[in-house]
Amino acid sequence: MDAEQVHKAFGELREILGHRASTSPVHRMAYSRDWSPRYRQMNDLPDIVVIPRDTQEMVRITKVAYRHGIPLVPFAGGTGMGGGAVAWNGGIMVETKGLNHILEIDDQNMTATVQSGITIEVLNSELARHRLWLPHQPESKRACTIGACIGCDNDSTFGIRYGKIRDCLLNAVIVTGRAEAIRVGQRKASFSSTGYKVLDLLIASEGTLGTITEATLRVVPLPEAREVRGYVCRRLNDTAKGLERLLGSGLAIESAHANCRNRLHFYTHSYREKYGREPQLPEWADAILFLSFAGDRDIVAFNVDKASRIMVDEFKAEPVSEQELVEGWWDSKHRLEFIPFKQKWPDSQRQKKFGAADLGLPIGRLEEGYHRYLEIAKKWDQEILGMTIYNESPNKATASISFAVFVDDSSQDTVRKFYQYVREMSEMAIELDGTMSTYIGDGDRLGGFNQLEHGPGLKYMRRIKRIFDPKNIMNPGKKFRSRWIEYDQGEHR
Amino acid sequence: MTERKRLEDYAEDIYTCNRTRCGFCREQCPVYHVMAYETYSCRGKMLVGRGLIEKTLSPSEEMTQILDRCLHCGLCQARCALHNLDIITSMRREMVQGGFSTPVHRENVQRILTEGRLLDARAAPERQGQISLYVGCVYRSKPRELATALSVLERLDIHPLIGDETCCGYIVDATGFDKEFEEVQEQFKRTYQQFQAPEILTLCPTCTITLREKYGLPVKHAIVAVAEQLRKRPGAVKRLGFRATYHDPCHLGRMLGVFEEPREILHQLGIELVEMENNRYFSICCGGGGGVNAVDQDLSIEIAKNRVRDAIRMGVEIITTVCPTCEPTLLRAAARLAPEVGTFVDVQGLWDLLDKALQ
Repeated sequence: MDAEQVHKAFGELREILGHRASTSPVHRMAYSRDWSPRYRQMNDLPDIVVIPRDTQEMVRITKVAYRHGIPLVPFAGGTGMGGGAVAWNGGIMVETKGLNHILEIDDQNMTATVQSGITIEVLNSELARHRLWLPHQPESKRACTIGACIGCDNDSTFGIRYGKIRDCLLNAVIVTGRAEAIRVGQRKASFSSTGYKVLDLLIASEGTLGTITEATLRVVPLPEAREVRGYVCRRLNDTAKGLERLLGSGLAIESAHANCRNRLHFYTHSYREKYGREPQLPEWADAILFLSFAGDRDIVAFNVDKASRIMVDEFKAEPVSEQELVEGWWDSKHRLEFIPFKQKWPDSQRQKKFGAADLGLPIGRLEEGYHRYLEIAKKWDQEILGMTIYNESPNKATASISFAVFVDDSSQDTVRKFYQYVREMSEMAIELDGTMSTYIGDGDRLGGFNQLEHGPGLKYMRRIKRIFDPKNIMNPGKKFRSRWIEYDQGEHR
Repeated sequence: MTERKRLEDYAEDIYTCNRTRCGFCREQCPVYHVMAYETYSCRGKMLVGRGLIEKTLSPSEEMTQILDRCLHCGLCQARCALHNLDIITSMRREMVQGGFSTPVHRENVQRILTEGRLLDARAAPERQGQISLYVGCVYRSKPRELATALSVLERLDIHPLIGDETCCGYIVDATGFDKEFEEVQEQFKRTYQQFQAPEILTLCPTCTITLREKYGLPVKHAIVAVAEQLRKRPGAVKRLGFRATYHDPCHLGRMLGVFEEPREILHQLGIELVEMENNRYFSICCGGGGGVNAVDQDLSIEIAKNRVRDAIRMGVEIITTVCPTCEPTLLRAAARLAPEVGTFVDVQGLWDLLDKALQ
């Protein structure tokens, strides 16, 4: 970074924000990482940290960045796994969690309008007072913000019923790289056929087009009751086929996660540790399908009963009799309520770090994908944690898959091996007619290399970026360059 | 007794947090909530800790100011498997060892070393009795409040033996004055010979946790003894009959696990208890902990105002609590908040309520 430009920009930011702009090395250090795998000593220090409180302040901050040609990197929950929120090229880190107000809860129209930095958990605790909730629920909801959900297109536990953030998002305000604030979307309507769907461009834009400052969301009534169940299956493919059948029968399923044998062992291990006994699972168990059902009590009871009959009769599956094992899954995915001071997380991360290739595959290629995963992980010395299939699209079996491994982050070389694993897994996804990423995004890992997926489409994406951000100040590098995966740059200009 | 480690000894914990970044600790941190920089949250501090270990950052006045604004309330640790409080304390020690400390903390430490107490002792409660009671600096500085608590105990047939005592040194330890704390411990042990008792009652939650963890003494907060007595005589108190919430003091609740006894007493007093959303293990600090009220009154008040807002959200106008720090801190904030929100929330100590109900 040009030190003189940074100095000048900081002076101007101080004028606007006072103590909410800082060049302190202490504050900069606190914004030097997200959750993505990197080697121990690796730091990405921003030059300046700012905390805007409203859209107008964000416009003024962006004007400063534009004038001095300094990168702007929006930072939200900091739980992204793709390096999207790190200031790889220095610049101004925008702490978006200062934008944390609820602007309106409209009970009549079932909408909530919020500033983008509010966390999902805080928003939902407020909505609960109105007997409402936002069903887009990433596992990181305690830290993750609405802006991050839009910008990263992250996962949702309830995707199979409610979809992801784009299914809840009605409109949003973005401060573009031109320092203009525009509201895009369809006000409080759920869809619109006019114009281009600029709102959709914001989904997974990772701060490369602008900073999202406000959003209006469709919210839904809180269910009266909820039940969770688990079914062990004989084959991984049975989980997808079974799920498709359950949905085809007319059942309402609220969340559905399928896990491979390795991941099943993870849950049985936790069960064994917690309860000191062996869960009674059949030896043939090759996968487990966890489901949740919600709604009125009698409907939920019917759903549970019917689902069990279909899974047992038609797919020779077996309901998990140890309900504690199923509740353990639900604790880790949704409730996040652990015994105070006895929570185990993040103890499991002491030696090695959790990392994943987050591919999307057609549902008929699951077994094939699983076997290739085992081979590729072995090739790159990645310790296998297991495969979890999330269903993220309403009322159909889909496959947003976490192919999880434990990453040795003790050195640059071992971390690079992880990204080689990600590269080869990504190539496999394209070969199997899938996608490289379904909930992590490009971040600083897949950019440029993602031409393998998008082909000439990537050129048009660059052009779109230039419309929003002509000086390339908005989270530069992300989505279009990789710092981890080598690729032929000549083809990607 | 807690073993004191250097920051480097926590490297594994710090790296584990750095590679995890789950942020479970962050959103409810009362200091982060006001100050807005991640640096004030535990997760942010863990990255700063790494900077100190790897020498990319050095102790500084600014870092000291940030670390001194930790309440040591333990809410972050309740949601984590790591040793967050010990790490933050060891970072504070690094500051002191590096020559950086806040003047008010230095003055307090010096006073404790020379006078044996943190605050002016306005009460001289020494007395003969049947069960040892450690009063602590705050109650010794508040004769009326102390007299009320002692009177309640006496009326319930708990007859305290109070001897000479010196400060437990919590604030010395918590603010990172490592060597000085060793001296304070020696001073405490010299003075406090009488406490070889099988059980020691205490009035201040902070002294209670310090006596237990730093001196290995068999302490019990006096309110627990009161609850035990009232169980034996259910008709001993009259019903006061109003609606209130109860604020769990961090040290008494989250750290010592005393949640139900104060609620049990409130029930016996006929008080309709309305819980705040964050209660028991996940109660939010009043803003007076960890020495924050000494270094940044404004921050302390803002945090306390947020806690009073929690009560207002539940539609109650009385907060009860049982801590000599929480009570005045919340009351001060309630008075400041009243013009902003148009509601005055009163704060009433459990000892005062017992005093009324036992008459």
